[in-house]
Amino acid sequence: MSKLASLAVAALLACTVAPAKAQQLTYSWPTNVGPLNPHLYAPNQMFAQASVYEPLVRYRVDGTVEPWLATAWTISQDGRTYDFTLRAGVTFSDGAPFDAAAVKANFDAILANRARHDWLDLARQIDRVAVTGPLAVRLVLKAPHAPTLRELSLPRPFRFVSPAAMGEGGTTAAGLRAPIGTGPWRLVETQLGVSDTFAANPTYWGGKPGFARLVVKVIPDPNTRAIALQTGEIDLVYGAAGQIPSEAFLRLRGQAPAFSAAVSEPLATRVLALNSARFPTDDPAVRRAINRAIDKDTLVRTVLDGIEPRADFLFAPGVPDADVGLAPHGFDRAAADALLDGAGWVRGPDGVRAKGGRALGVELDFVGTNAQQKAIAEVIQADLARIGIAVRLVGEEESAILARQKDGRFGLIFGEIWGPPYDPASFLSAMRAPSHADYQAQRGLPDKPQIDATITAALAATDPAERRRLTATILTALHEAAVYLPISYAVAIEVHRPTVAGVGFGATLNEIPFAAMRPASTRAAR
Amino acid sequence: MLRFALARLALIPVMLLGVSLLVFVVLRLGPGDPALDYLRLSQVPPTDAALADARAMLGLDRSFAVQYLDWLWRALHGDFGLSYATRRPVLPDLLGYLPATLELAGTALVVSLALSLPLGAWAAGHRGGWQDRLVRAVAVLGVSLPNFWVAFLLVVAFSVTLGWLPAMGRGTLAHLVMPALAIGLMSLSVNARLLRAGMLEAGSGRHVLYARLRGLSERAVTRRHVFRNALVPVVTATGMHVGELLGGALVVETIFSWPGVGRYAVSAIYDRDYPVIQCFTLVMTVVFVLCNLAVDLAYAWLDPRIRLGQDSA
Repeated sequence: MSKLASLAVAALLACTVAPAKAQQLTYSWPTNVGPLNPHLYAPNQMFAQASVYEPLVRYRVDGTVEPWLATAWTISQDGRTYDFTLRAGVTFSDGAPFDAAAVKANFDAILANRARHDWLDLARQIDRVAVTGPLAVRLVLKAPHAPTLRELSLPRPFRFVSPAAMGEGGTTAAGLRAPIGTGPWRLVETQLGVSDTFAANPTYWGGKPGFARLVVKVIPDPNTRAIALQTGEIDLVYGAAGQIPSEAFLRLRGQAPAFSAAVSEPLATRVLALNSARFPTDDPAVRRAINRAIDKDTLVRTVLDGIEPRADFLFAPGVPDADVGLAPHGFDRAAADALLDGAGWVRGPDGVRAKGGRALGVELDFVGTNAQQKAIAEVIQADLARIGIAVRLVGEEESAILARQKDGRFGLIFGEIWGPPYDPASFLSAMRAPSHADYQAQRGLPDKPQIDATITAALAATDPAERRRLTATILTALHEAAVYLPISYAVAIEVHRPTVAGVGFGATLNEIPFAAMRPASTRAAR
Repeated sequence: MLRFALARLALIPVMLLGVSLLVFVVLRLGPGDPALDYLRLSQVPPTDAALADARAMLGLDRSFAVQYLDWLWRALHGDFGLSYATRRPVLPDLLGYLPATLELAGTALVVSLALSLPLGAWAAGHRGGWQDRLVRAVAVLGVSLPNFWVAFLLVVAFSVTLGWLPAMGRGTLAHLVMPALAIGLMSLSVNARLLRAGMLEAGSGRHVLYARLRGLSERAVTRRHVFRNALVPVVTATGMHVGELLGGALVVETIFSWPGVGRYAVSAIYDRDYPVIQCFTLVMTVVFVLCNLAVDLAYAWLDPRIRLGQDSA
């Protein structure tokens, strides 16, 4: 009898467990997602913040923004006042209404901690936020700021937590009572070092997510992540190309239909900054020669396994306002040699060029633990040796490289542009701040003051045509000065098991469209 | 023996004080800036204002002496501060992660002893035979292969190809097998060789000859006079291997996504998470002192000639 009972229980369990498993999407991330405070940074992980909290407007692939928690807005003639109409009928997952008072409470909490958001122009530009109706808010800026809507779409800090879940006195800087947003997912459990579990938000205004649960396992190692996908511990790999080793990506892509794999459109640019304020890259001929001497096609095919396309410009052609019809520098070793010959750099007996008693040697700084940067650096070293430039490789810790970017202690240094929705406006804006590698790289250019003035004008321009013209002026000046060496356009990758359907890329790297993913029909899964 | 143990335990607080000061100084002597690391983790560009804000938030804008005394005062009250990276209290997290690591290192120790002793004895019993050569070959490989590589080989063989064992995570006994083996292989190999050498040496001693002359059975001779004597160097080595096993756990935990203290500590080192490194060092100091004490006590039990603590009387 007892045997029969236990059999029945087992059968029952099997029945309940199987659909539950099908209703669960398992993903992985190197760390726990953090306490999920929408207004703070580390240890909060952006993809998770973006799954729980929503913005007023959402960034789209074409560079425009679409209505989200705000359904409409008007911008005043002087570009300083934004009037938003909020979506009706939206509630936070604790049942509290999302209304103008909630929006104001969130902006107040963010601005009470303004110093933390100093890196972001909009946080400095907001003068005040006022409630103008139950579902209407007004945002007043100190000065017109063209990328306002795009910066409002960022995963942080301009997203909205239930006012009841805020900390003492309506602040969020010291923590929340609970991570309660309006988004498609709710954080329901965190196991330190093991996983974070999200449940679909039953009251979500945008429709129920395809899966009932989203489990994010903590997997720090990219090789382990690839194996976890193979052995079925996770259903999905999604993110920057380093999520799994590129050879694992190629192997899994070759195993269709056991796995489906895809590469996104370009999301950022892998680029080296050339220091125009330092010998010998202060010589424009040297910078141009470097740009012509690198065989990028071979580099991309070998080091990057052909996953990312070659980059000729600072911004990929799809970036808004960035396709300004420039001619690439182009790989031409003879032309590079001619440039150096013409500038008076003479080859010595050891093959290294020199001028006025100083050898043509340049230092290339990279993150020592980053195998990909190291390999790219070695290829560049070899290519430049062929035109008589001696490259000294300096591999250091990530934060040491950051410090070099900040204070200009580099000859050539790796960087990455920020990607959507920052490009191009927010990224160009940062070029004016001395703490950025871009500023340091451009510091030696005779027209750096004009470049900065043009950036400022472009940010304040309210007329799109004028903004496009100014952006083109900036990008042309930087391209001709050759202060950047673009390598490849960085992409996102995804690999999933056939049990998951509806996997697509979001408009930005940090917003993973989990809500659109759904269980594949059982037949297809088999 | 009790007095000896108590004296050793009494030394722990003094040792911790010294270690804490040393770690505090050494961490801050190195290049780099934890505030910069915090901004890197936050994916925020390090503007001067952002750096100043991060320094103030992490308490790094105070003088060294103030930082240390403040930390020491709080530590004496059981508060080891907030992690720079996770913004969570360090001690509860560390103690939360520690059992998983001790479970892993402990299992590795048991596996290593359980396999190395029979293997060593087997090899010694068949000196020069194929059994001996096999054990010695395994031992050479075990010492030479890095544990993380062994870990990946095991995963490829038993998870990816055969599908017998889970590739990652913690939970069942099956989850323990591969990480414990990967970590324990080195200790296992060394111990097997040490026991083999020890047994061969002890076997040729005069006391063994006399024991045989006294008419003791071969089994009794091996067990009481050869094996027990050969164990002494193995115990010493095992004491030293505890560090090796814990260090191995730090590396291998990442590969198996094992939720232990190793990953917490390794990322803390990478991110210059001073509060975590400081607390981790102190906890590990205690673990090591206790392990060494256990080894010394086992020593005295095995070798009657060693009388701990009596020389001071």
